[in-house]
Formats: sequence, C-alpha cells, structure tokens
Amino acid sequence: MIVGSQKPIDEIWDMVKEFKRVIVFGCNTCVAICHAGGSKEAETIASMLKMRSSNEGVDMDVSSTSVMRHCEPEYFDEVIDELRSYDLVLSTACGVGVNFLSERIGNIPVYPGINTSFFGAVPEAGVFEELCAGCGDCILHMTGGICPVARCSKTLMNGPCGGTNEGKCEIGKDVDCAWYLIVQRMKDLGTIEKLSEVIPPRSWSTSRDGGPRRVSVEHIREYEESAEQKTEAGGSK
Amino acid sequence: MAEDNTTALNEPYRPYGADIKETRPYSPCRAACPAHTDVQAYVGLIAQGKYTEAFEVITSVNPIASVCSMICHHPCEQACRRCGVDEPLAVRHLKRFAIERSQDYRRAKRKLTKKTRGKSIGVIGSGPSGLTAANDLASLGYDVTIYERHPVLGGMLASAIPPYRLPREMLNEDIDDVISKGINVKTGFEIGRDRKLEDLMKDHDGIVIAIGLSQSRSLNIPGVEGDGVLLAIPFLEDVAFDRKPDLGKKVLVIGGGNVAMDVARTARRMGVKDVSMVCLESAEEMPAWKWEIDEAIEEGVTIDNRWGPKAVKRENGKVQGLEVVKVNSVFDDKGRFNPSFDDKTTKIIEADTIIITIGQMSNMSFLKDGPVKLDERGLIQWDRDTHMSSASNVFVAGEVVTGPGSAIAAVASGHRAAMALHLYLQGEEIKGNLPEHEKDKIDQLPGKVVDLLDREQRQEIKHLPPEVRCDTFTHFEIGYDEAEALKEAGRCRGCGGGAVVDPNRCMACLTCLRVCPYGAPKVFAVSEIRPEYCQACGLCAPECPGQAISMVSYDVNEIRSSMPDIIGKRDPKRSDPVIAAFLCTHHTGVGGFNVPGNIRTIPVHCISRVDVLDVLSAFSNGADGVAVIRCADGSCKYKGVAKRVSSRIGRARELLSMLGIENERTEMLTASSTNGNRYSSVCTEFSEKIKELGLRSS
Amino acid sequence: MKSESNLEKVIASGNPAVTAELGPPMSANGHEVREKAKLLKGFCDAANITDCQTAVVRISSIAAAYMALQEGVEPVMQMTCRDRNRIAMQADLLGAAALGLKNCLCLAGDHQNFSAAGRLKGHPGAKNVYDVDTCQLVGILKKMRDEGLQEGGDKLEEAPKFFIGASWTPMGDPIDFRPVNLMKKVNSGADFIQTQGIYDIEGFRAQMEKARNLGLHERTAILGGIIVPRSGMMLKYMDSSVAGVSVPKALIDRMMKAKEAAGDDKKKAKALQEAEGIKITIELIHQVLETPGVKGVHIQAIEWESAIEGIVKEAGLYPRPSV
Repeated sequence: MIVGSQKPIDEIWDMVKEFKRVIVFGCNTCVAICHAGGSKEAETIASMLKMRSSNEGVDMDVSSTSVMRHCEPEYFDEVIDELRSYDLVLSTACGVGVNFLSERIGNIPVYPGINTSFFGAVPEAGVFEELCAGCGDCILHMTGGICPVARCSKTLMNGPCGGTNEGKCEIGKDVDCAWYLIVQRMKDLGTIEKLSEVIPPRSWSTSRDGGPRRVSVEHIREYEESAEQKTEAGGSK
Repeated sequence: MAEDNTTALNEPYRPYGADIKETRPYSPCRAACPAHTDVQAYVGLIAQGKYTEAFEVITSVNPIASVCSMICHHPCEQACRRCGVDEPLAVRHLKRFAIERSQDYRRAKRKLTKKTRGKSIGVIGSGPSGLTAANDLASLGYDVTIYERHPVLGGMLASAIPPYRLPREMLNEDIDDVISKGINVKTGFEIGRDRKLEDLMKDHDGIVIAIGLSQSRSLNIPGVEGDGVLLAIPFLEDVAFDRKPDLGKKVLVIGGGNVAMDVARTARRMGVKDVSMVCLESAEEMPAWKWEIDEAIEEGVTIDNRWGPKAVKRENGKVQGLEVVKVNSVFDDKGRFNPSFDDKTTKIIEADTIIITIGQMSNMSFLKDGPVKLDERGLIQWDRDTHMSSASNVFVAGEVVTGPGSAIAAVASGHRAAMALHLYLQGEEIKGNLPEHEKDKIDQLPGKVVDLLDREQRQEIKHLPPEVRCDTFTHFEIGYDEAEALKEAGRCRGCGGGAVVDPNRCMACLTCLRVCPYGAPKVFAVSEIRPEYCQACGLCAPECPGQAISMVSYDVNEIRSSMPDIIGKRDPKRSDPVIAAFLCTHHTGVGGFNVPGNIRTIPVHCISRVDVLDVLSAFSNGADGVAVIRCADGSCKYKGVAKRVSSRIGRARELLSMLGIENERTEMLTASSTNGNRYSSVCTEFSEKIKELGLRSS
Repeated sequence: MKSESNLEKVIASGNPAVTAELGPPMSANGHEVREKAKLLKGFCDAANITDCQTAVVRISSIAAAYMALQEGVEPVMQMTCRDRNRIAMQADLLGAAALGLKNCLCLAGDHQNFSAAGRLKGHPGAKNVYDVDTCQLVGILKKMRDEGLQEGGDKLEEAPKFFIGASWTPMGDPIDFRPVNLMKKVNSGADFIQTQGIYDIEGFRAQMEKARNLGLHERTAILGGIIVPRSGMMLKYMDSSVAGVSVPKALIDRMMKAKEAAGDDKKKAKALQEAEGIKITIELIHQVLETPGVKGVHIQAIEWESAIEGIVKEAGLYPRPSV
C-alpha cells in the first residue's frame, strides 16, 4: 500500500490561510491504514485548522468528509458537487489522489494535506516500511525476495558495499543493510551461488527516470473503446 | 390519520442503539426474557446514574415492572454470561432499584391516552396478561374496559401472591400506570354471572380473555372432603383479603412448586410454628425455584420429599394427618410425569390442617355452550399463531391458554394477544406479525475472554432475618442503596452493546484487531467485531482511522457534537480556568462528582472512549485545560485502557503544541474509583495547576 | 600493459607496491593539493585522490589528480557511483584519460548522510545517483578500455586506458560473502584492489586464504590497506564505528600506554602516540606484505601526509623502484 505521513500544521496553514471555505477530504484506503489521511485524520486536520483560524482571527469555514479512494472517479463522484462548493479542497490522499482529483474537479484548487512517502508494509502496528520502489523491472527472484532498489541506501545491484556494520547500513544503526539480508536469505534458501554472478547495469527506463509511466491493459481498453460497449451501456462511460 | 396520532402519542422510549440491536443477536439476558426486556441497556443506564432512563427501558416492554422487580424468576440472570465468570448480575434487584429511584418520575408522567380508534375492547381478567393487553390496546388508542371478579385489580398478583413477596403498593404502582391511560375498570364483576360473554361481545369490538389459572386442583383421595383440608388459591385469597382461617398448630402442605412455597411461608406468617411440606419429587426434582425453597427452609419449613398422598386421616371428622406412600420415581424413562409408588411403604404425617397445592386450572363455566369453543380436555381452543379463539373477535392471553408459567411470560403473551387483536381490527394479517418468542442470542463468553475478566463478587441481596420476617407479612428483601446498585450494574459486561463496523467505511486496516484486548475483531474483507468476544469497552472506536466503528450502546460522536453546550459560555474576565474533565461513569452518583462550576464534567462510559478529537474539541470550544481521569489500576473494568488512552493524550498534546497550547494543559490523571470525592479533588488540583499556568486568551 | 601506469608497472615488476592517499581541500586552493603532492613524491608508486570522501564537497578528484600529476606524483583517481550517472562518469573518464590520468579506483562512495558530521552541515538532502554500482563501473571501464565501447554500445575512436582498481573490505559483514564480493569485482575487471584498513592481521590472513583459494590473488593485485593510527582514541573509534574495521585490544592498549606515559602533558602525549602509531604501522606493513597473495600496501595517513616519508623509509620500502 501507499504510505503517507502528516504535514506539520504550520505548513498546511500557510497553504490554506488565504481561503474562506476549506474542506479537508480524506481518503479511506492506503493513507487511512497508515493513520495519515483517512476519515479520522481529515477530521483532525479540519479541527486543527478551525482552531488555528480562530487563533489567527481569520474567518474560515472548515469541514471534512471522506471517501474510500481518491484514485478512481467513481469513488468521489458522489461528493464532487459538495467539494465544488468550497474554495479549496485539502486532500489527505496520496499524491495520486491529489493529482487525480485536481484534474477532475474543475476550477477549484486541490492541495496536498499529507506527504506521500512510499509503498510499504506494516510489520507491526504503527510501523510502515518501504519494501518496493516501483522501479518497473522486478528482480526479486535474483535477490532472495529482498529488493536492493528499495531497501539498499545506494540501490546497489551487486552489494554489499563496505559500509555494512553488524548487519546495519552505514546511514544508521536502525536501518538494516539490504545486502546483508539478501546474503543471509539466499544462504538460507540455498541459492547463494546465484550471487556470484555480476548483475550488469540495468535500464532505469521502466522507473521514474523513463518519464511518467502508464499501464494500459489492452483487452480491457479494447472493450471499453469499442462502439458496442458504448451502446450497451447507453452511451455512458 | 389515526396512525399518525398513535405513533406520536405512544412512541415507546427507545434507548440509543435500539434499532441496531434489532439487527443483531440479542444479549443472552434479553433473549431469555419472555418480554425481551433490554436488560443490557437498562443496567448500563443504571451504571451511568441514569435511573429514569433505565425505568423507561424496563417499562417500555413491561407494564408490571414493579411486580417483576419483586417476584420475577429472572431468566435473564440464569442466562447472564457472567455465570461463566463468577455470578450473574443481580438483574431483578437492579430493576427494583431503578424503579424505586423513578417513583416520582413515573407518577408525574401518568396521563390519559387519546382514544383515537373509535373502537372498544373488553379485557376479562387483570392479571399480568390482562393488564398487559389492556395497557397495549389503550396505548394504541382503543377504549378499553377491564373486567375483574375480585374487588381489586391484579388477578393472582393481588389475590394469591403473598404480600411478603409482593408488597401491594408496588403492584398498585403498576396498575396505576396502566389505568391512568383512561381504562375503564369493572371490579367485582364476573363474566357469566354479571353479564354473559355473548352480551359482552356485543358491547365491544374485541374481547381478550385473560383469566389465568385461578382455581386450585384438588386430590381424589379418601377423607379429602370436609373441614381442615384447604385448597391453595382459596387459602391465599382468604389471607390476601383478610379472611384469615384457623389453621391449628400443625400445617401440612402437599406439593413442591412455587405456590406450595407461598402457602407454607404464608402459614408460617400466620403464626403456625410447625409447617411441613410433602411432595412427590426429590429435593433436586422439586419444581419450585431453588431460592424459594432455601428461603422457606430458612423460615423453619420442613420438607418431606418423595412421598405421595394416599388418604386424609380424620377422627370425628377432624383432620389428624395424611397417610402417604413412598415414591419410587416421579418421571418415566421419557421424562414424562408418571409417578410410581412403593405401596408397601407408608406413613402418617400428623397435621391439623392440610393445604393442597398441586396445580391450578381455570373456571371455564362461563364459556359453556357459548361461541368460544372448548376442546375435549375442557380448555379453550386457540390458535397459537394468532391468539384467536374459535370466535373471531375473541382473543386469548396468558396462562388460561399457555398453561402455568411465569408472570413475565404472561406479559409476553398479553403483548401478543393485544397486537393480534389490533391487527385483526385493522384488517391486517396476524400470523407472522406478532413479536417472536425465540431470538438469536450472543454465544457464551469464549474461554480466553473469561480468563481476561476480573472476578467481581455480586452485591449481596440482604434479607430480613427469618425470625423477624415470619412475624409479619411485610416484604423481607432489602433494596440496594445507590452505591450497591452502581457497583452491581458496573459488573455488567455490556453484552450486545459493543462495537459495530460499518463495512462502507472499513478498509480492513487491522487497527481494531491490534487494539482490542479481547480478540474480538476478525478481519477478512472488512472487520467484523464478534459480539461474543466484545466487552463493549469502546477502546477501538476512537482508534479507527476510517471512523468505521460505532458502539451499539452510545453515540461515539456525542461528546464532540455537544461540546459547545458542555463548555458553555466562557467569561473573558473569569479568574478560574474552564476545565473539561472526562470522568468514568462507573462512578457517577457515588459522591456525585461534586466539583466547582468551572470544571465541566463529561461523564463517559470508561475513558477508553475518549477520542483525540474530543480533546481537541474541548480546547476548540474554549477549555483552558482538559483532564481525562482514569480509575486506579485494579478498579478499571477493562484491559489496556490506561496505556492506550495515555498515547492518545500524547497525540493530542503533539497536535495542540502545533497550535501553541502547552502540554501541561492536557493530562491523564488517576483517581481511586471507590470514592467519588477523590475524583473531585483530582479535578480541583488540576484546575489549580491550570490557573497557575494561566488562562487561554481569545 | 593495460595502461602503462607506474603502478601497473611496479606491480608487474614483482616489487611490493606502495600507494598513499591525498585528500583534496574543501576550497578552491589548488596550492594545498600541490603541497601535499610534494610530501608524497618519491615515497609511493601512486597516490589515491579521493572523490569527495565522506560526501563532503572538495576539489574534484579529477582536477586534483591532474595537479598531482603535474607535481610528479602519479595519481589514482577515485570515482564514486554516488554523484554521477553513467553519462557523467564516462565523460569524466574520457576527460581524465585525455589529461593523462592512468589509474582509476571505482567505489560506491559514502552515503550523503555522512556529510553532516562534526561541525559540517554537508549535503544530507542531496539526491544520490547510483545509476551503476562498483562492479558495474569497473565493467564499464573495462569495456571502454578493452572493447573500445561505451556502456551503451557506441564506439570510442580512442579508448581510455585505465589501470582499474576497486576497494575491498575483507573484514566486513557478512564476512563469508566478502571473498565472493571480491571475486565479483575481479570478474568485472578490477586490475588491482585496495583494501579497507587492516589491524586484525589474523582476520585478514584468513580472508586472504579464501581469496587465494578462489585464485583471485593471481587475477588481481591486492594491496593491503594501512591506516596510520595517530592516537588511542582514533583506534578505539575505528574499532567501534568504522564498518569492516576491527582493532585488536593489544594495539589499542599500546597506544593508550603511550598516552599515559606522558602524564598530563598533552603535547608529549600526542608525540608519544604518533611515534607509537608509526611503529605499529611499520609492523602492520611487514605483516601484510608477508601475507601470501599480497602485492603491496595502500598507506593512508589521513590529513597527515607528512608521515609517509618516514614510514616508507622505516619500512624498508624506500627508495621506490623506477620501472
């Protein structure tokens, strides 16, 4: 899932202070799970903004609402008219949601209420860990299921470097060395000899470096774009 | 038009969550109650010091609540899930407490209901089922007349239940509630004697026969006829109406049921020192409730088990005793009542008076050859699904058709008969539309939850000592005082009042699973909080990032939405700080939370329900400080509350500090739960601290 | 000869090779580089020019290397993967070759986090690159040199001829993978290897044995790393905090004893410790050179380039062969 983290209220205040009517719009999937931007945190931010505006003597009308996801239009269709009645939508979705809603809402600004951090797992309550960087060319089968792109501080493909210290990364004692883990894991799996091969320079074109990315599922697109489908569904999409 | 009127007029009290509860398994206590009284709701309200609300919950389904608070056999207690932990809640006694605390309230609220239906109903009999039917039909806007052969209303409650068990003033409170709706009462009026049923059917649009089982059965043994042998009901009636018979020095009661206990214990109160009982059953098999037997024995009644009556021995017509024969067994292989005797073993039990208490029946003579048909056994023919007799506008309720049972079961039957008659008069289908007997209920507490619960002894129900109570017909049981009642109500685990997940908001994040100390949530596509595990502590709801969790028994948003009223006006020139204090309601009432006016108390069902947003809301509405006051370790009803709430306070502080509000203004404090005043002093100390820190401007 | 560099020649001659280290300054003062070069001239076969070591901004490795060359010291230009993608790296390599640089040591580079240390603010917020890693960079150099091709496959009219080096941390975690790690660098094309500083000679020898078993000592020239200890505190710090370095207690004790011998005299304590440090260094040089498979030493006198002369002389490694 996508992990987000909260922005300091000062930063949010600087974004929103010029607006009279603000709605904090929560997203109840990924960013809710990480306690950053779900319904509850949206209400919390709204509550904080109310107090802040009152402290500053600014007349601001703040409310909050939320839907399950911001990244598919069907989810926010129901509330979009309500959102349009505000001067500003402060979205607590990930950056995907902010972009996506911004493109569809019309002439109302959509600002980010949280920071989008990474794709992560929840090893235990309140801890979120980056395990994948979405580089677009998965090599986990070669590295014992542990991703050096996401988890090595230097994205080394032929690690470890000399900075491994008691299994930890040189950047900090609380960061595991991914390559230490990879070696241990592949030893346990009996596949350590695979690591003798040098992985050649990879192409980063599938990653962010290749420009904005888009996945199109052909068989679905083919159907969606066919004339028959449009007639069947009464012309609506 | 009539519809509108009745709903507006007679909307029964609905506690918070009543609608959700109907969609979910009942708490075992409620499912066990024939009238489905929402025990969890009213015990919870008592625990919060909301006694009149508790009264409303009780009386919304039970018009003879006072009576039941004295004599109910309380199947709710037998079903209570605390039985698996220590002892069941003292539900009946708590009901009594709530009712006693609501005396003025109930009297003040009595009023006529409008007779909007333009139709009249005759109810024959004013026992539990008759009173209930009359009450319901009057509430629905019918013009109701009750016919009672005795000089007072109440049926067996007034005429046969001895006053040491049911003080008449309690019965009369119930009767007054019902009658005050504008019901016509004809006492000393016997159908068949004073007016024929056929004529009565012409007087009214509908009739309810609820005559109960007010005749005692007798024995067909030699010597039974004549002085010195009495039947239970006439005996109890004589005592009730102050026609006290001479019983001699020794009384022998035949029978082992609850009425037999009433008879024996009544005889003791009439000054007879030597009262014994004889019955077919062994001590374990006796049909009387165990507590009735124990109380009788306490009062000096002796019981001779497993003897069958053979003949009454008389000398010169005067009773000398009863010849009895040894019982081999009472029930056959299939568990049916089919006693067998050892004819060779007999004995004589000496007695001056023998009272036969072997069961009851109805006097059906007024129905003979009339429109209401009897079956081959002489019982009224009726349809259980519609409560209809063979005459279409004559409905039946209570023990006359159901056979012997409890008062509360008769109430349930009365409700069904009234609803049936109402549907009939409306021209609607009856079958399938009457309140159900059987309800799904929450399973027993899982063992691992039982292990997590503290053992808390039931608050003892105090009785007058046997030697005192045998000298009088006054009630022998002493009601709870407030401290006892709150303590007892606090033992309730709130079955069925717990957390519910809105699947439209749940994103299956597992937060509840991680928060719940009892392992209640199970998460698949969405979370499901299993009611048999849930202890209704409320710890999960404020943690849910999707705000998907609500509580059945209270509104999780209530505090925030009412915060402006709680804080109220804040004097800009005030010298004392405005403090919002969240206090656990398991302790309201005890000591009364007597705090200075600048401290706004917010009673909560355990501080586990206090949300970060509630704290923010208090400051947002002008509080100078917020104190969340927890109960000391060991006295909290739930697990893991302090740590979890403390981390919420940490979170609130973190947020508030971003707004320049100092950490010291938000505190979680601890007070002893055994003494309400400790709460007050903790609040006051906190208030002083905030005063020193200074008041918030703007 | 792959590169015709002095270092390559010394190694080929069978003499034990000596490399030293020159850290460029955090300023535009090229004079400082030249002064340091003068201190090293004649006492080593080549000197490593660090590439923004610990991610601190300094005169670029390539520029400093060129200045050292002008001063008559053959430089080993260091190149980290941290700051440049493969385009910038290859461009720099072509430029370096054009300037006459002949040795290149490929490194992953310290993480930018290191730059904010002590009084330095550094650039911990910098974006790191790591387009390629050490093995891959070694491979790129080899491909350019031996095949005359850029990494992408485009032809180079004139190939840069570098003597390719890589680092090795023999005692780093996970220790049993380190020989494989070395092998990968060798397989990628590393002509010489400079190791992380060695104090635990037994541990180093055990790792060397594994490297020998893989035949690596014959395919690459392993120069044992010697970090000249200057104080007991420095040894303690390296033992506890520097990845892949462990210092035997006996060595630390020796330094601490030297310090204590000076009593409260701080100046004397410094002098005594430095003298003891040089003694230890010479012992270590001998022990490393005695280890089978080792072809030389890489002596790092960090911000103490003036010590090199004495050490090399004392160790019997002077004069440096001219080949």
